[in-house]
Amino acid sequence: MNSAIDFLNVLLPFLYFVSFGIYAVAFTKGDKKLDNYKRLFLFITLLVHTVYLGMRTIEFDHPPITNVFEIFTVLAFSVCFSYFLLELITDIRGTGPFIIIISLIFQTISSIFIEDLVEVREVLRSNLLGSHVFSALLGYSGFTISAVYGFLYLVLYKDIKDNRFGLIFNRLPSLEVLERLSFYSAVIGFILLSIAIVIGIIWLPMAFPDFSFTDPKIVGTSLVWILYGIGIASKIFGKWRGKKVIFLSILGFLLAIFSTMITNFLAKSFHSFY
Amino acid sequence: MNLLSISINHRSAPVELREALHLSNDEITNLIKQIKGSLLAEGLVISTCNRTEIYGIPVNPELSHTDLQQYIINQKSVTDVKPEHFQNYNAKSAVSHLFRLAAGIDSMLIGDNQIYKQVKDSFQLAEDAEFSGFLMKRLFDHAAKVGKRAITETAISEGAVTVSFAAVQLIEKIFANLSKKSALVIGTGETGEIAAKHLRSRGVGRLALTNRTFEKAERLAEELKTAVFPFNNFKEHLHKFDIVVSATSSEGIILTRTDIASAMKKRNNAEMVLMDIAVPRDIDPASTHIDYVFYHDIDSLNIIVEQNLNKRREEIPKVERIVEEEIEAFFNWYNSLQAAPTIKSLRNHFESIRREEVEKNKNRFSKEEQEKLDIITKRIVNKLLHQPSVELKKFNDSSESRDESAMKISIIREIFGLQHNSNEEKKNE
Repeated sequence: MNSAIDFLNVLLPFLYFVSFGIYAVAFTKGDKKLDNYKRLFLFITLLVHTVYLGMRTIEFDHPPITNVFEIFTVLAFSVCFSYFLLELITDIRGTGPFIIIISLIFQTISSIFIEDLVEVREVLRSNLLGSHVFSALLGYSGFTISAVYGFLYLVLYKDIKDNRFGLIFNRLPSLEVLERLSFYSAVIGFILLSIAIVIGIIWLPMAFPDFSFTDPKIVGTSLVWILYGIGIASKIFGKWRGKKVIFLSILGFLLAIFSTMITNFLAKSFHSFY
Repeated sequence: MNLLSISINHRSAPVELREALHLSNDEITNLIKQIKGSLLAEGLVISTCNRTEIYGIPVNPELSHTDLQQYIINQKSVTDVKPEHFQNYNAKSAVSHLFRLAAGIDSMLIGDNQIYKQVKDSFQLAEDAEFSGFLMKRLFDHAAKVGKRAITETAISEGAVTVSFAAVQLIEKIFANLSKKSALVIGTGETGEIAAKHLRSRGVGRLALTNRTFEKAERLAEELKTAVFPFNNFKEHLHKFDIVVSATSSEGIILTRTDIASAMKKRNNAEMVLMDIAVPRDIDPASTHIDYVFYHDIDSLNIIVEQNLNKRREEIPKVERIVEEEIEAFFNWYNSLQAAPTIKSLRNHFESIRREEVEKNKNRFSKEEQEKLDIITKRIVNKLLHQPSVELKKFNDSSESRDESAMKISIIREIFGLQHNSNEEKKNE
């Protein structure tokens, strides 16, 4: 099975690249004939990725969440899977390349650096940890998609203001739709991250009796959670709208990335496993 | 094919002459009554704001383009129109012109799909007046196909190419659903009226009007069933609108940046679109610097129009290919209406039936009888087809015009279902 896993590990970045290519060509050329092919190809990519994740879980006897590069491949999958669902529900197809490129980057990094770890610390085999990490990853996927739609909102906003009526103007959905997509993705991300935090609070004292609330990952995640909480509340209560909420969403996303990098590569934290 | 066509259009004559020769539907019906049978055996008259065109098969082969031009000039009692203001077409060029017209690439506004509808309406008028014979009907079928294919297979009709459409395209890039939005149109002159009607037709949720002459706004409001605000206090209501279209003939600015800023404050900065389609402008262009205000004047809308026109121009070669294909299909049909190919098709048709029946029933006969069966059935078919073949050959020698004999052949082909067969034969070849 190992050689099959290795093959899929090499194949996946290629599949994401082709999916990205088809979506990008459809975006630039406005070719409606590609609409069904691109969706089909993305579906195939996600199917292969599901098989890959399943095979890793069975072969190495733990879910692929024990190190940063395993987490990257799950993140690549969950970002694209969330987008795929969003495309099916809303039938808004013009934004695909901007989301798929994120999965392409995560998957490529993962495929290059991932190792076949059979031996992992016992603490990482917990079911509670699995739910904690998966809900956190899905939450971050929501924030990623929210940030991409937010970024597209800002670009389209500026283009319309400056009378630039190019590709972005012609292909993207309306500002109102982009704002709504960004907001709903952030809300879903926030709910999932809240679940991850609650599970974390339950599991943490069991797994690490000597943990500290000043752990960089906990501080970073709390900041991200507070930031999104403020943004969502201010939008719901009608205080803020448009650009302000979107800036907050992008800031939250950058903070999430920054906090992950600090935790995993620089700081000493019980969250660093690799 | 003795098909004649004359056209006075935006390329050949100035607007006042085109207007002078414009025909209403009633005038077209009257004209058809007069020329049917006397000048043209069958035909078609098209008249739009940019063109008046006559197509037809002359009763007398000597009939010239000038005769047809003179007839319509006399009918409309116009003195300034000269022969050089017309474009003349014959046979293939006439067919090509009609197809290009139906596809929208001969229009002043490239890809204008209004013309497709107008051509269809003109055919209906000809049909109602029993002016469309077998040739024109077929011609129309192909013209309609060209129009449909141009719309579905190319992007020739895509994108906004008028300022009011461009304004709506822009508004739809900001708001997702116009039915939930409210719009105010300032100025109910010609431009304002078009804008108001356009917004109404696009399903804007709430529409209101204001105009310096209140009665004028009231008249339009009644027609569109909208609210009206007096011009002197409309600014007090400005914040209630998501879309403001201004098209007055005012010499100065009527909405300052301060007016817009205070309306935005009252709206809690909800997006507001300002479409200033007046010349000179009605709204202070500095309003564009206010957050969530999307200010656009006629120049920015013209950028969209020009971009879309360029895209449509790029589609012309694709449409030309469709026109060429349909011309070829039309003339394939027309050329099949000759004696020799019809005799051949008729013989193939009978032979295939004979062979099929022989094949089905041959097992009822012995080996020796099967050969006889083949010979006898062949003989029957030959005898049956002898007289029709002789008669068909006479069409070539007779003194009647090519179009008349083509019509008779077309009837024969239709009776025996030969159209389909000849296409099959062509494919097999």
